[in-house]
Amino acid sequence: MFSRTLRLYAALLLTFCFSVGVNAQQKPNTMGAPNEFVQQVADQILAKLKADSAARSGDIKRVNQIVDEFILPYVNFEKTTRLAAGRNWREATPEQKTALSQAFRGTLARTYSGAFTRVTDSTDIKTLPFRGDANANDVVVKSQVIQRANSQPIALDYRLEKTAQGWKIYDINVENVWLIENYRNQFSQQINQNGIDGLIAALNQRAQ
Amino acid sequence: MNTRTYCKFLLIGLLAILAGCATQQVKTPIAADPWEQSNRAVFEFNDTLDRAIFKPVAQAYAFITPQPVRTCINNIFLNIGSIWAGVNSSLQGRHIDAINTFGRFMLNTTLGLGGCLDLASTTGAKRIPNDFGVTLGVWGISSGPYIVLPIIGASTVRDGTGMIADAYVNQFSYGQAVHDIAVRNSIYGFEVVQRREALLDVTDMVDRTALDRYSFIRDAYLKRRAVQVDGPLSEAESLPSYEDFEAAPADRKALGIPSQK
Repeated sequence: MFSRTLRLYAALLLTFCFSVGVNAQQKPNTMGAPNEFVQQVADQILAKLKADSAARSGDIKRVNQIVDEFILPYVNFEKTTRLAAGRNWREATPEQKTALSQAFRGTLARTYSGAFTRVTDSTDIKTLPFRGDANANDVVVKSQVIQRANSQPIALDYRLEKTAQGWKIYDINVENVWLIENYRNQFSQQINQNGIDGLIAALNQRAQ
Repeated sequence: MNTRTYCKFLLIGLLAILAGCATQQVKTPIAADPWEQSNRAVFEFNDTLDRAIFKPVAQAYAFITPQPVRTCINNIFLNIGSIWAGVNSSLQGRHIDAINTFGRFMLNTTLGLGGCLDLASTTGAKRIPNDFGVTLGVWGISSGPYIVLPIIGASTVRDGTGMIADAYVNQFSYGQAVHDIAVRNSIYGFEVVQRREALLDVTDMVDRTALDRYSFIRDAYLKRRAVQVDGPLSEAESLPSYEDFEAAPADRKALGIPSQK
């Protein structure tokens, strides 16, 4: 009698684990509606972070790794870098363009990670209903991040572009400040002082 | 140490830093920040002070106080502050915002146990931060140059002026509610520690991501304030339109200019 109940519990537990596993494994659909896509990316990474003890205890390196694996594939960081560089982009050689994008990628990863430090069970991201033109190729998806129980939600918006591979995020807005806009002056400052190579070096230095 | 000697030390320290940084040249000036050189000096001063005093105290507070308690206390301070925020929404003619803010205040004060529980946020009513600097902006006063104030930090001439009204109201309301001066001053001190603690995550992120922390904070501050003054615009108006210089060769072709090979 006892063992039968135990077996039933085991079976239930297994089914539960399996279904959770399947949900977490499902890849976000980049071809679907933009707000659903963002929600899927957010759910996927939150599930990962909540299950990871190192990330939960605030290990920033581990959070960076998870962001690298589960968000950056959906980010067009070359476009982000190009727009932040503005007219200086034209002066860059193809090698510099690649190096600059790679260097800025680290900054982007750390920015995204910033939203996910100290994840708790109550951490949640809710995308708001999409109100833009459904056929547009350049859209904004708004979301609210609830970091922990009883705290003020943070407004986090994503700007996405439809590419041949589906939706790609290229800019984010934290509490009314767009990331690209906020890096334009810092980029031009560095370029004016030390050139594009100086900017690349400064970004790489930040990564250490 | 009495207040006067304290102020004297502060002033000497500030002047020393200003003098030390006077040779630093501004290479990429921006129109909104004509006082960049002295602003950077005050920024350095604030930063040193923060690293030496404010941040460690806030971290110690965070270390000894459980997160739910800190969230509760933060919510209580925000809830008290929301009265003045709501008054400012009224002064700006944003009556729906004012009604929302006062509705939030009443719900959180009663069912939310004096503001400890932010029930209004869980029902989807977001907090609408507001102050007298924004009110002055809505009344048509432009922000004036960016200025980094000692200890307080990022501001503009207009917002700094608004802060005098904010501080006066803060003083007055606590003065009415708490008569014991020692208790009142303790509350002020505690509010400073608590506010710094609430910002720890943000400042850590800026430390990790900014290329130049001064520009990062300045640009974010000016942008956020502009959005607060302008109010919720339509999406198309508020979205930045970036010039994309990858498209440049195509434009040349469209203009009939032969592309460079």
